[in-house]
Amino acid sequence: MARTNPARNISNSSRIISLSLLGFLILILLGVPLFASSYVCWIIGNVLILILFAAGFNLLFGYSGLLSFGHAGFYAVGAYVCAKMLMTIPSLPLALAAGVFAAGLVSVVIGFFCIRHTRIYFAMLTLSFGMMIHSIIWKWRAVTGGDDGLVNVPVAPLRVPGLLSIDLGRAENYYYFLLTLVILGIALLWRLVHSPLGLVFQGIRDSETRVAFCGLSIQKYRLIVFTISGLYAGLSGALIIPLIKAADPGMAHWTFSAEPVLACLLGGAHTFAGPVVGAILLYVIKELIIRFTEHWSLILGVAVILLVLIFRGGIVSVLEKGLLPRLIGFFERGVKVDRSPGS
Amino acid sequence: MLKGGVSLDFSTILYQGLVGLNLAMYLWLIAAGLTIAFGVLGVLNFAHGSLYMLGAYFAFSLYGAWKLNFWLAIFLAAALVGVVGLIMERFFFKYIYKLDEAYQLILTFGFVLVFSDVVKIAWGGVFTIPPLPDIFKGTVGILGRPFPVYNLFIISAGIIVAIVIWVLLERGWWGKMVRATASDREMASAMGINIATIFTSVFVFAAALAGLGGALSTPVRVVDPGVGTAVIIQAFVITVIGGLGNLKGAFVGALIVGLVSAYGILLFPGVELFLIYVIMALVLLIKPKGLLGG
Amino acid sequence: MQKRVLGMMTALFVLLCIVAVGCAQKAPAPGGKEQGGKKSPLGVDVIKIGGQGALSGSHADYGRQMQMGATLAAEEINAAGGIMGAKIELKFMDEELKPPVAQKNARYLVKDWGANFLVGIDSSGSALALGPVLKELNTIQFFTHAGTEKLTEDLVYKQGIKQIFRMTVPVYQDAILPALVFKDMPELKRFAALNADYEYGHTSWKMFKETLSKYRPDVEFVAEANAPFGTTDFSAHISKLLAANPDVIFATPWAGEAVTMLRQAQAQGVFDKIKIWWQAMGGSVDVMEALSTDIQKDAFKGKLWGTARYLHNWPDTPENRAFVQAFLKRWARYPNYSAEASYSSVYALKAAIEKAGSIETDKVIKALEGMKIMTPAGERYIRPEDHQAVYTVPMGRAVWSSDYPIAIIGDLKVVPAENYYRKPPFN
Repeated sequence: MARTNPARNISNSSRIISLSLLGFLILILLGVPLFASSYVCWIIGNVLILILFAAGFNLLFGYSGLLSFGHAGFYAVGAYVCAKMLMTIPSLPLALAAGVFAAGLVSVVIGFFCIRHTRIYFAMLTLSFGMMIHSIIWKWRAVTGGDDGLVNVPVAPLRVPGLLSIDLGRAENYYYFLLTLVILGIALLWRLVHSPLGLVFQGIRDSETRVAFCGLSIQKYRLIVFTISGLYAGLSGALIIPLIKAADPGMAHWTFSAEPVLACLLGGAHTFAGPVVGAILLYVIKELIIRFTEHWSLILGVAVILLVLIFRGGIVSVLEKGLLPRLIGFFERGVKVDRSPGS
Repeated sequence: MLKGGVSLDFSTILYQGLVGLNLAMYLWLIAAGLTIAFGVLGVLNFAHGSLYMLGAYFAFSLYGAWKLNFWLAIFLAAALVGVVGLIMERFFFKYIYKLDEAYQLILTFGFVLVFSDVVKIAWGGVFTIPPLPDIFKGTVGILGRPFPVYNLFIISAGIIVAIVIWVLLERGWWGKMVRATASDREMASAMGINIATIFTSVFVFAAALAGLGGALSTPVRVVDPGVGTAVIIQAFVITVIGGLGNLKGAFVGALIVGLVSAYGILLFPGVELFLIYVIMALVLLIKPKGLLGG
Repeated sequence: MQKRVLGMMTALFVLLCIVAVGCAQKAPAPGGKEQGGKKSPLGVDVIKIGGQGALSGSHADYGRQMQMGATLAAEEINAAGGIMGAKIELKFMDEELKPPVAQKNARYLVKDWGANFLVGIDSSGSALALGPVLKELNTIQFFTHAGTEKLTEDLVYKQGIKQIFRMTVPVYQDAILPALVFKDMPELKRFAALNADYEYGHTSWKMFKETLSKYRPDVEFVAEANAPFGTTDFSAHISKLLAANPDVIFATPWAGEAVTMLRQAQAQGVFDKIKIWWQAMGGSVDVMEALSTDIQKDAFKGKLWGTARYLHNWPDTPENRAFVQAFLKRWARYPNYSAEASYSSVYALKAAIEKAGSIETDKVIKALEGMKIMTPAGERYIRPEDHQAVYTVPMGRAVWSSDYPIAIIGDLKVVPAENYYRKPPFN
């Protein structure tokens, strides 16, 4: 992918616009439980989790150039461990932490093997490890409930002794809890991507040799990025449990691994906002289709094919290169703001 | 005596190997086309399983519903899938060769979604199976136990296909051009080979192979809209074990997966699926170019 | 910087879309109260029933059959004036055999589309995952296929989720019934299993073994092979079982897998060596359609036994004959059990609403508990303790009869339902 960036010189006014848009977006998300139906609220909860999953996944895929088909496995580890914990100890923070920790542990071990390869070999290796997790969940019936999965998982209240106790079984309470965690998670990713570490990841993607010449261990950085994205997958899996109160082996199947890939590609893998937009788009497309026809598979397939053929870099980069410069140009001509270089 | 009460004598073990061989030949028929397409075009085609499914549906209609001659139906089904492949390559795939692998995978995944719904619309959601042709009814005694004639036919069909592919690729003018293109596109193009035509012909050939596999499976396996996704992962596993793009490797990979499945069911029930993914990961880690890869 | 502006703008736009769609589609309160005018005594003009089943993938026909059954019932009832003057409106969705999708559909149907009642569900995993959601939504769901005993024994009886009702017989049919019939055949001594390698298969085999060994200490369970969901070749499993020389093979893979397996078993000469092949859901209409020519040519040598959760050729009652005729006329196919159960669910709902004089969930639950209703499958008694519809379905041999264009389960063995249904307190 070409790294051309024709419009580095964006004015302060754009920065203000972008921040206010971000604020507006968060405001809307905060308002959702107030004016939308509980179904929309629940769906947005699901979308938020896919956003988190896809954004973390994109650190590996978009920023480091490694396509994994096994991240559903880490998602499932996070989900099952969290569900198991909730069924024994009623503490959500503990359950979430356990889920994330387990997913992290598994991704370090699997990552240790997988980072030896790149490209299609990496994709196939992650696929095989992901499917191993899937077959373990399927077969270890005593612990995982086999294909029935874990059902009717209780939701524990969020309790800080002596301070507060929030009933997260209530849909809107959990929605706000989820929203907070997802915003924090995305903000953390943003920091990470724009830190020196993030630059190393992109450097490795664009030219391994150059980074190696700088005296950095490629494998070490790959393992770090693999683990971080595994942690995000585990967190997403753990966060879905209070929302759906169930875990099933489908969570670990390779077809589920394709969802964050689709989200990143639809939105644009080489942009920060790409997976966020892609995740939303994926849900919206399917939501719209299933309301009108049972042939969702056909229409979704056609949409995917067209998106790959027409919007190759994803929606975000197509807009970025075509629509947005014009829009900004129009805006700035309109208000006649100084074009000061840099921002 | 073994867990599960099956006595493990010599003939049981040998017979299970024969069953595994039969399994392996189905897998080989699916994996062969996938491997050729990847080796030359560089595209790992998720929709290859869907082409297999289409072959089975075509054969069902031609042989089961319209009562055509079995051999003619098999041939026509494979040819029709080749035509579908032609359309896919000419109108879609040819635009994605230069794209990232991720985009290629996702485009082919889009075709998986499309095909599974298209067959549901065309043939209904019900699974279908035509009757077994009369010439294949019955069994032959092998090792004191009956072995289906149809399975013997499949084993020989798999071997014949392997020989035909080998002759086409190693002996004919087409094979020479294909091999030249696979090893160095630019050089081949400079030598006057029309790369676009080679790509199309290779993809059509690969699609027809998938269709043939599907068509041959119809009398003993039902076909339904979910078949495409069910077979593709096994085909991936074989392609990887053999070395991506390596045909001989794919043959060996199919044998390994077929035999491991058959013996896994007999000796280590419950872990046979897990075992196959472990083998896949081990091969990728130790010999990433495949068992027969350089 | 630019990327951020753009990403956020697009995200905002798309998000507004989803909210707009959500709000626009939001149902005008259950039952379309806004229409005013002449309301039925129920206070609504329309009763909305949301359905879901497998409509894509390998088991697409099961969801389709549900849709056909429920649609036929709704059309008949509407033509006769509806339920106390209120018309039935149906909407069917694809559960994809995925629990999260089933949950999403149920929430959408109830909260957005405005469904008053739910019907359907093929997968056991989906059914179990749906339980707590139904409680939260306080909406009744009639389950018309999912066979796991946990749905009624655990979720309803032990955990008290009263919104669950099951109109089909659970895995008792697949496991306990054949054990009760085979116990009286002293020539059957060696039993082997070809299990569907998931909860359904393992539970069935366990129940079968437990029941049979209670009556017949002399039988042996000689071999077991497990086939994962989506198996396309069973020859290795079959040859393993044959090496143990069983009299009976107890097989639970269903639908297309059952047909594949039986065709391969036949090719392997299994039916020369065994006495009985028990194909639990072999009586399913899709399986019978696919195996018709084989059964007509006696390829299974009369040794293929099976049942289903309803058989269209039994009982020989006016209700059943009328239903099968109407179904054939409307859809040009024989009704499968998921179709009959969905059809009967709608009629049971009608009876319950009329009895309660209301569509309120709690009142309808009360009206359904203990209800006895005549349905095509015979009289169903809805057990108040576990909300399981109790009715008898026979088992028998797959035979060809000139009365039908497809093979049927004939030579029927009838065991009364109360003898083979497990009973509360389910210990």
